[in-house]
Amino acid sequence: MWRKLVVLSLAVVFLMSFAIAAPITIHFWHAMNGPLGEMVQKLVTEFNKTHPNIIVKADYAGSYSETLSKTIAAVKGGNPPDIVQIYDIGTQMMKDSGVIVPIQKFIDEDKTFDVNTLVPQVRGYYTIGGKLYSMPFNSSNPVIYYNKTLFKKAGLDPNNPPTTWEEFEKVARKLTIKKDGKTIQYGFTSGLIGWFFEQYMAVQNALMFNNGNGRIKRATKAVFDSPAGLRIFNFWNNMIQEGIMINGGPGWDNANAIFASQKAAMLLDSTSDVGMMLQQAKEGHFELGVMALPHPADVPYGGVIIGGASLWMINTHNPAKEQAAWTFLKWLEQTPQQVQWSEGTGYFPINKNAITKMMYQGFYAKYPQYLTTVFQLLMSNVTYATRGGVCGVFPKVRATIEEALSKVFNHTMTPAQALKWAQDQANEAIEQYNSLYQ
Amino acid sequence: MKKSTKKKLRVVIIEVLLVVIALIVLLPILLALSMSLKSPGEVFSFPPTLLPHKLYFQNYIEVFKKVNMGRFLLNSLIIASIITVGKTIFGIFAGFAFANFKFKGSNLLFAILFMTLFMPAELLLVVPLFNLMRIFHWVNTYWALTVPFLASATSTFLMRQHFMTIPKDLEDAARIDGATSMKFLFHILIPISKSMIGAVAAINFVYAWNLYLWPLVVTNSNDMKTVQIGLKMLMSNQSNNNWGIIMAGTLIALAPTLLLFFFVQKLFVKGLASSGLKE
Amino acid sequence: MSRKLVPYFLLIPTLLIIGLFIYYPAVLTLKNSLYRVSPFGNRVFFVGAKNFEALLHSPSYQQEAWTTLIFVAVSITLGLIISLLFSLVLNEKVPGVGIFRTIVFSPYAVSPAIAGMLWSFLLNPVVGYVSYAFLKMFGVQSHWLTTYPSALIAIIIATIWQNLGFNIIFFLSGLQGIPDSYYEAAKIDGAGSVRRFFSITLPLLSPITFYLAIMDIIFTMFSSFGIIDIMTQGGPGNSTTTFIYRLYRDGFIYFNSGMASAESMILILIMGVVTFIYFKFVQRVVHYR
Repeated sequence: MWRKLVVLSLAVVFLMSFAIAAPITIHFWHAMNGPLGEMVQKLVTEFNKTHPNIIVKADYAGSYSETLSKTIAAVKGGNPPDIVQIYDIGTQMMKDSGVIVPIQKFIDEDKTFDVNTLVPQVRGYYTIGGKLYSMPFNSSNPVIYYNKTLFKKAGLDPNNPPTTWEEFEKVARKLTIKKDGKTIQYGFTSGLIGWFFEQYMAVQNALMFNNGNGRIKRATKAVFDSPAGLRIFNFWNNMIQEGIMINGGPGWDNANAIFASQKAAMLLDSTSDVGMMLQQAKEGHFELGVMALPHPADVPYGGVIIGGASLWMINTHNPAKEQAAWTFLKWLEQTPQQVQWSEGTGYFPINKNAITKMMYQGFYAKYPQYLTTVFQLLMSNVTYATRGGVCGVFPKVRATIEEALSKVFNHTMTPAQALKWAQDQANEAIEQYNSLYQ
Repeated sequence: MKKSTKKKLRVVIIEVLLVVIALIVLLPILLALSMSLKSPGEVFSFPPTLLPHKLYFQNYIEVFKKVNMGRFLLNSLIIASIITVGKTIFGIFAGFAFANFKFKGSNLLFAILFMTLFMPAELLLVVPLFNLMRIFHWVNTYWALTVPFLASATSTFLMRQHFMTIPKDLEDAARIDGATSMKFLFHILIPISKSMIGAVAAINFVYAWNLYLWPLVVTNSNDMKTVQIGLKMLMSNQSNNNWGIIMAGTLIALAPTLLLFFFVQKLFVKGLASSGLKE
Repeated sequence: MSRKLVPYFLLIPTLLIIGLFIYYPAVLTLKNSLYRVSPFGNRVFFVGAKNFEALLHSPSYQQEAWTTLIFVAVSITLGLIISLLFSLVLNEKVPGVGIFRTIVFSPYAVSPAIAGMLWSFLLNPVVGYVSYAFLKMFGVQSHWLTTYPSALIAIIIATIWQNLGFNIIFFLSGLQGIPDSYYEAAKIDGAGSVRRFFSITLPLLSPITFYLAIMDIIFTMFSSFGIIDIMTQGGPGNSTTTFIYRLYRDGFIYFNSGMASAESMILILIMGVVTFIYFKFVQRVVHYR
């Protein structure tokens, strides 16, 4: 009898160990290509090595919008991934999707995870109604890269970059060189990217949407047709019409090429590019500076909004899988991984301790350009405006603002007309979207 | 002027024109080639340099280091070959049916097939098609990447036009000799239509090789991805790309189709010349 | 097997594939066009023809109709003329012409997205080769992709370029199919080369031109969104937003699948009507021997 019991219990233990040992596979779709994609793969490989019970399969799913398209197709087909990287402006869509688990659930259950380690500005973006919905991942904000060598040539102090719009315009004018009526060097360039408009709103502490930027309740109206919004339109348009700024057009590449070939002295771009920028500066033989986003002198400073993307957990109705996915998300947020991620990509750490660690290790002393990017973020006030807008049709709102700006640049509309037009378009889209959730 | 000098002059003028045309047409591809051989520092030099100062082949090596380009090339080759073969064979069958038979409903069926040309299939179908793949358990397999593309109106139409130009007597003679329709198709029609089939196959190959959106949606693992996705993986979503490497990747992705064109070029012109489209 | 059944057997694979993978999804799209659908499809409301009404009343959609018309008409007309001229030169029997033919085909092998990428490089306002050449030669600073109407012109150039190879392949084969004896006879009659082109070459090429025009319409209507997305994203304003690009945006960037489905249906309808008219009236003018 005893022997039988022992054998039986041994068998049970043996079987259970199998059940436990059988690794759980987590499918993780991401939108990171280029060097960023390599970095994600490196982290995943490391995780798999240190966690024998879990296999994370990382898969490149295309650009941000392609990743969302692919996820939608997979959800409709009943074959979704366990974790998916979704861009900042997809937050409301994901929240409304009915297929996700807010990670707040795991934070509440898991006492080993300290949510206060998250950088408040980052946490603020992905928190709606007091709930953290997704795990922040690649986070960036906009800065202005400038060519210190050209600053010196123009007789400007490269270590005293402008901090207000008024100064910025003056500096841009000084950096512009015209010959025979043709501009041979522009003061400033930027891609036509709606994200920058949102950032300029935030530095003025102005809202994009009502209901606390859509964070108290679902946003029902766009409110960016305001003095703050108009000021941005005028600020850009005046510089373009005067010929001290060149519009790089849609996307990031053209403006970047102009800056890299030293035909523009300042470039509005994302902090996530700082590593590559440094490399380009080295190869192009100029000295690179990074300045925080200037703001209008007479308006109380708000701050910058984080951009980038976060990691969402899809509801698989399988607790073991969800736990495994949570383990991975938690691991990614920890200091060593964040240090590795930040130093390798230029995105800043989402974990405060990682920032401290990088400072102690002398990283920021060695690369002061990286310091500006983090500094700017930490100096930002955490308000509804700087936590960023949340809206189900944000991709369309962003594109509409880009369209409106290009209409202003081409004289088809005045700044005031264009802004009003964009807001009307946004309101129509918001109303349609919201009608689905009433 | 003597007649022979006049002739020579004409040849020279034509050669010059050919060079000019080739340069205009090739400009973007030459740009890619030049950039792919530039070091990262030279890509953005101003004024833009036409030729690299120093050939920098490292970019091509980097492509294979950064992404699994070898595997992607193999996948694309497998997928494009299957699609090419299937599409061409089914195109021959359908074209033969429409050209050589009188049957009930032939006009209606042809119209149904022809209508597919007017559907923006690439965009229209992604989500519903994905559902089907899920039902068939084809997600992330070569099945999903090939089967939906095995038939098309274009191949059918071109083959039909071609078969219609072949004299009816040929088939009648074959039938008198006791050959069935299928025998006639395989033993007589296909051998004499080699060039046309080659041309249609080349068009189908290019189409399959350049597919992007569908392979992206329906594959979930690195070992199923194609060259076009691999190319996208070399780029960054935001700015600051290493353009030398991307251009090297672009040329690697282009090379197989360019090579194919080089080899079938003669076939091509001959094949289409014999199609019914000329008259 | 009875000869009567043979054609049906031959058509089975083709009909099965297009039925399952094109018509079935197309029917679902038709159904979808009558609904308002949330991005993930978890909320669906029947709205009847409201999506269509909204589109037809939208000023931007009307503007896009004109843009599409101009874009398609100009790309095709210019594209066909340029390809024909190039083909005439490429048809000459001179040493090395084979290499040139291969070269000229090559743009066809480039995918629309890559074509867009290469052209936006060439047209970069400052560091692009084309802009630089314009600056040096004419002293103009060109902002190709950010001003109107040059953005549309740029898109048209890239589209024509990409499609050039395909057109030339067919024109060249058509030219080779014209017997030399025709030209000899015309020469004896004293017709000059221009007369010969208009009285022999052009009429004899009309069937191939007819076919190419249809294929080019399909290409410019449907496949051009890759080029537009990379070069202009439909701007400035919405001056380069064509129907297919709007469909791409609504479906894959804004995730409004109800609206995208309605746009698909309108596109299919337009294409159907265009083809019908084309076959009914234009085919008559085509010269058949």
